[in-house]
Amino acid sequence: MSTTLHHANAERDATVSRRRALTLTSVFGLFGAGLVAGFSNLLFFRPRVTYGEPSRFRAGKPGTFPLGTRLPLSRQRCTIIRTASGLAAISNTCTHLGCVVATTEVGFDCPCHGSRFDPDGAVLGGPAPRPLAWFRLAHSPRGEVGVDTAETVPPGTFLQV
Amino acid sequence: MATDTGVLANLLALPRNVWDSIFRNPLPSSDLARSQTTFSNLFLHIHPVKTHAHSLRPWYTLGLGVISFSLFVVLSVGGVLLMFYYVPSVEQAHNRMLDLNGTVAFGILLRNMHRWAAHGMVGVVFLHLCRVFYTGSYRRPREFNWIVGVLLFLLTLGASFTGYLLPWDQLAFWAVTVGTAIAGYAPVMGEQVRFLLLGDRLVGQEALIRFYVLHVAVIPVLMTLLVAVHFWRIRKDGGLSRPEGLDLPEAQAQFPEALQGKLEGLAPAAKTAKTKTFGVMGIVRGPFNKLGNTPDNTVYSWPNLFLAELFCFALTVLVVLAVALLFNAPLEAPADPTHPPNPSKAPWYFLGLQEMVSYSAFWGGVGIPTLFVVLLLLLPYLDRGTRGTGVWFSRHRLLATTTFTLLLIVNLVLMVIGTFFRGPNWGLVVPW
Repeated sequence: MSTTLHHANAERDATVSRRRALTLTSVFGLFGAGLVAGFSNLLFFRPRVTYGEPSRFRAGKPGTFPLGTRLPLSRQRCTIIRTASGLAAISNTCTHLGCVVATTEVGFDCPCHGSRFDPDGAVLGGPAPRPLAWFRLAHSPRGEVGVDTAETVPPGTFLQV
Repeated sequence: MATDTGVLANLLALPRNVWDSIFRNPLPSSDLARSQTTFSNLFLHIHPVKTHAHSLRPWYTLGLGVISFSLFVVLSVGGVLLMFYYVPSVEQAHNRMLDLNGTVAFGILLRNMHRWAAHGMVGVVFLHLCRVFYTGSYRRPREFNWIVGVLLFLLTLGASFTGYLLPWDQLAFWAVTVGTAIAGYAPVMGEQVRFLLLGDRLVGQEALIRFYVLHVAVIPVLMTLLVAVHFWRIRKDGGLSRPEGLDLPEAQAQFPEALQGKLEGLAPAAKTAKTKTFGVMGIVRGPFNKLGNTPDNTVYSWPNLFLAELFCFALTVLVVLAVALLFNAPLEAPADPTHPPNPSKAPWYFLGLQEMVSYSAFWGGVGIPTLFVVLLLLLPYLDRGTRGTGVWFSRHRLLATTTFTLLLIVNLVLMVIGTFFRGPNWGLVVPW
């Protein structure tokens, strides 16, 4: 008698745990699918191609930049400088709040909130927290200087010409 | 029964019958009809049939919640109308603004109303938040509705900020450049969030279409949902907050207007209480012996509450209209990504942030605002007291009131400095 009862209880326990297992699987499946869907949305919102100004462009032959050049390119938001060490491209986007800095003989001035930078983009004053970024330069196969504004290099990295 | 009348008679009775089929109750003249009018109308039934007289006191709520919602309605309707002419493209957007001025009938008026109502909504929603804080109305059992309210405030800021870019003038372009740069200071995720928001590294066509979709679809839908939850919870949490012990017999002097029948549809409260019948749901919360001994300080929502709401709505529309007729919404030169104006300012409600950012980018732009929002969200769970609820500036809540007021004053001062005292190169200037 008691063994039968015990057996019946065990059977019911087994049934319940199977149902529980199925429920848990379903719940995890559902929320897992939700998570994956959410993550795929994040990917969806991150464009692989942007339609704005291309980050890579050719600035011209090295010979077009004589020693002492400080040439601001307003569309690409950077300044090409030529010193004895070589060529470099310094970002014109202020590290404070993203305004376009003005390139002067003695450095860069931000018109928005008064940050000032020296000729190499180091902060001289104002609210800017970091020096201006330096972009990667490379010689293009056509003998021109290529700039990639999506890639920064440590300040002071010059392209030998 | 006149069911088999002739066609002609039916035609003659058509207007009347159509009207009656829509509004099943005539204008109510009895308490029963007042109840029926309220709960048989889709738009009215979100209200309770009866409202506590304390909730109708103009100086208690200042009508700020209803005014916020009225502005939301004005903005939704006006916004949809503006969508008929607006094109979210960097080539066309600014020209469409000029077209609103010149070639679209009432275009400039609509744009002015939309602009000023949007600024007004940011202000009024924040004042509503202040009212709820100063009266301690966020406390139990209204904790969750406070959280919904804080989220609605953040969404209001989001709606206003995304709309700021759409005219695509210098003001819009640089305000959004500066505003999203502040978001970029968030640790780890900052640059990613900024990129997702703009869809590019700089503000451009991608940012315009993203802001447009957020502004006209995502944020309004979220707000509509949350507003529905917000209203629903007011009822489920027992109506607006009011002081404890207000419904005890000795507190009757509180409501002379109710006792003297000044509010329509209210028989002298103490008299009706004895004969009032309660539904089962109405009595399960309190002990039975209250029945018949508790003065009934509620009045019928029709017409007392509805007239008050209508008044707030009409006043809101009137003020928005007047301001829109008097002042034109600003429109500067088309956006020029190569020439920032000097100085570049974020919208006024972010100028307190920008002022702080000019001292410390991370703390001003991200740290302190995040801390403030987290504190707001945690507030009802940190403050579990009950004394002083439902009273403006209660002396039982001196610490909370003082702290909040100080924060408010600091933010206000920073905002005023950022708005009026900052000139070229973010240098201090005297505005007069």
